[in-house]
Amino acid sequence: MIHSYKEQHITALTPDAIESKADEMKKAGYRIEQICARSKDGVTTLLYSFDKDFDLQNFRVTVPQNMTAPSISKYYWAAFIYENEVHDLFGVTFTGLVLDYKGNFFKLEKPTPWKTEPKTAEGGE
Amino acid sequence: MNWYSLIGVALFLLLAPAIGCLLSGIDRKITARMQRRVGPPVLQPYYDVRKLIEKDQLAVNKVVDYYVLCSFLFTIFAGCIFFAGGDLLIVVFTSTLADVFLVLAAYSCNSPYAQVGAQREIYQLMAYEPMLLLTMIGFYLAKGSYQMWDILTGSGVALWPMLGLFFGFLFILTIKFRKSPFDLSTSEHAHQDIVKGLTTEFSGKTLAVFEVSHWFETVLLLGVVFLFFANGTLWSYILGLIFAFLSFFLEIIIDNSFARMKWQVVLKSSWAVAAVLGLINIALLLWVL
Amino acid sequence: MGKRTIVPFGPQHPALPEPIHLDLELDGEKVVRAVPSLGFIHRGLEKLVEKNDYNAMNYIMERVCGICSFGHSWGYSGAVEGLMGIEVPERAQYLRTIYLELSRMHSHLLWLGLLADGMGFESLFMNCWRIREQILDIFEATTGGRVILSFTKVGGQHRDISDETLKKIADKVTTLRPELKRICDVFIDDESVKNRMCGVGKVSTDEAVELGAVGPTARGSGVNNDVRCTGVGKYEELGFAPILEKDGDCYSRCKVRVKEVFQSIDIICAAVAKIQAGPVSVPVKGPAPEGEYVMRIEQPRGDAFYYVVGNGTKYLDRARVRTPTDANIPMIVKVLQGCDLNDVSMIVLTIDPCVSCTER
Repeated sequence: MIHSYKEQHITALTPDAIESKADEMKKAGYRIEQICARSKDGVTTLLYSFDKDFDLQNFRVTVPQNMTAPSISKYYWAAFIYENEVHDLFGVTFTGLVLDYKGNFFKLEKPTPWKTEPKTAEGGE
Repeated sequence: MNWYSLIGVALFLLLAPAIGCLLSGIDRKITARMQRRVGPPVLQPYYDVRKLIEKDQLAVNKVVDYYVLCSFLFTIFAGCIFFAGGDLLIVVFTSTLADVFLVLAAYSCNSPYAQVGAQREIYQLMAYEPMLLLTMIGFYLAKGSYQMWDILTGSGVALWPMLGLFFGFLFILTIKFRKSPFDLSTSEHAHQDIVKGLTTEFSGKTLAVFEVSHWFETVLLLGVVFLFFANGTLWSYILGLIFAFLSFFLEIIIDNSFARMKWQVVLKSSWAVAAVLGLINIALLLWVL
Repeated sequence: MGKRTIVPFGPQHPALPEPIHLDLELDGEKVVRAVPSLGFIHRGLEKLVEKNDYNAMNYIMERVCGICSFGHSWGYSGAVEGLMGIEVPERAQYLRTIYLELSRMHSHLLWLGLLADGMGFESLFMNCWRIREQILDIFEATTGGRVILSFTKVGGQHRDISDETLKKIADKVTTLRPELKRICDVFIDDESVKNRMCGVGKVSTDEAVELGAVGPTARGSGVNNDVRCTGVGKYEELGFAPILEKDGDCYSRCKVRVKEVFQSIDIICAAVAKIQAGPVSVPVKGPAPEGEYVMRIEQPRGDAFYYVVGNGTKYLDRARVRTPTDANIPMIVKVLQGCDLNDVSMIVLTIDPCVSCTER
């Protein structure tokens, strides 16, 4: 057993460091595990996961107010599936997406249903 | 045309749909039992056709109905010539013409599935034509005539000199009956990459006509198997009937034991069979027997 | 033929087991490009975390998919247990292992049946599912449900399964072995089956890693990413070794799954022999979950990734599932380029798609 499933590696990362980290992971032989997002009170956070020989590395990135982040699909082509999903559900735009569905990946009734708005002064959402 | 021809044609027109329907129902029942299922009632094909006739027609292109109707009429025509004791070569070519009309019908549909199915039907045509023609030529060489009546009543069982051709004919029977491994263009089961292939866009009366023409064709083909055994005596006729049903049963077993093949495999194997079993048998008939 | 047509494949298609939509651009009978699109089964289940506390969320997670249901509840419960620092008792771990292996058997048998059906081999399809019925009967007799078991909860299992019942389960799956052997021999040896599968959808080891493929899809190309090696459940103690094949075509993936079915029988029997008496759950006490936790489970289709984020209340901030089919879709998009139309359904089937998992 090389790595236990209980090992947790979650490190914070700034948005501009995403591309260089993806490049580094690619060169080290890691495969892309997943990319997901979560949104609370208007702040969207991305989680990137890479795996190599059961060593799971996760990176947490807070998306800036302009809701854009660089795409890592030029390093990991398979990332298009996760980035399109995050775009359709959370409204994050990935610049440089190799296979961009422009919002038509997931057939949804309302666009970006999981995006939250910042809490207003009255406490409503 | 004599007395017997008229009776033959009348019997064919009256009994073939019933026999074809029963055979189709028995086919489905036996297949289900082989798969340890209960299966539909034996008369299910009849209920299906009756229901299809009552349904609305949703043809994208009206000309499809006419093509399928032409295909149906030519199938009946081929069967009538056969059972009237007529020329076997005309039977083959008329039956082929019926198939070509089916291809035209499928091409007229605006569906990509139907068009791919039509293409595959053409490959199937190319696959079975040589063997079919060689079989008829074999009958001529073995029995001395192209006329079905002469072959039926002529002495000498055609099976022995035509043994290779018999097995070759059974091989392509799988293609004509639309059974695995050769059910490329359309089959009873719609679990195909091209949905129902040829017949995807057929609906209502058109599909009913297609089903019924398949029944007529079944009877015609089993008639050819029967012909291998006929030599004018009663016991040969009974033997012929038994073997016709046995070959049908064999097709059901083959259907249940094989997956579907790609068209390249179908074409190559059919031509290989036609070349080996067919041509060698013909050569033997020409020069030896 | 030179003419380009676009054939829509799915979401409803007889050859397709799952509602995925592929627009296939064809040149004659060769696929030039395949463009997938999803969303037909999107139910937004993950968003329900806002309204259901972390215990109730377990039941929602189970219903993400009918085939992989047990794995989802284990993955989610495991993630919350990790978040809250709960250690599940030994017996519960054994039970989870046994049921995940039963789940794997029934899922692989389902897939084998669909593969046979996709090839036009109906009798084989019916026989595979007939064996699968017996496993579903085991589920129903022990947990009350055929597909959605509701057996796992945060902290362990809902109820204990007596040793006698476990013995019966082990005996039952052992009796399935000869029937399974007969059927699996057809998949491995039959010429018409091999004709449809050998050489189709070839993926090299490097390509599999680059495309992020997981599960038997990747193991057919020799990539070992079987999460059961990381100490989840009781696999280590039962001497688990992942099954790998080198060729990377549909046939090798089929062989991997066939061998995994037999391996599952072995694991179940070994687990039943080794299981000890003890509690099956621990009470969940203490502060509400806070922080984030990542958990992975080897579902029948590959590794599933569970990510939970707590904020100190009983409602989690986020419960995320990344299912194995999600990771395998880029692979089929790549492999479909340049294949024959005949092979499209084979290639789509070979990743064992489970689109309700993908879209949640």
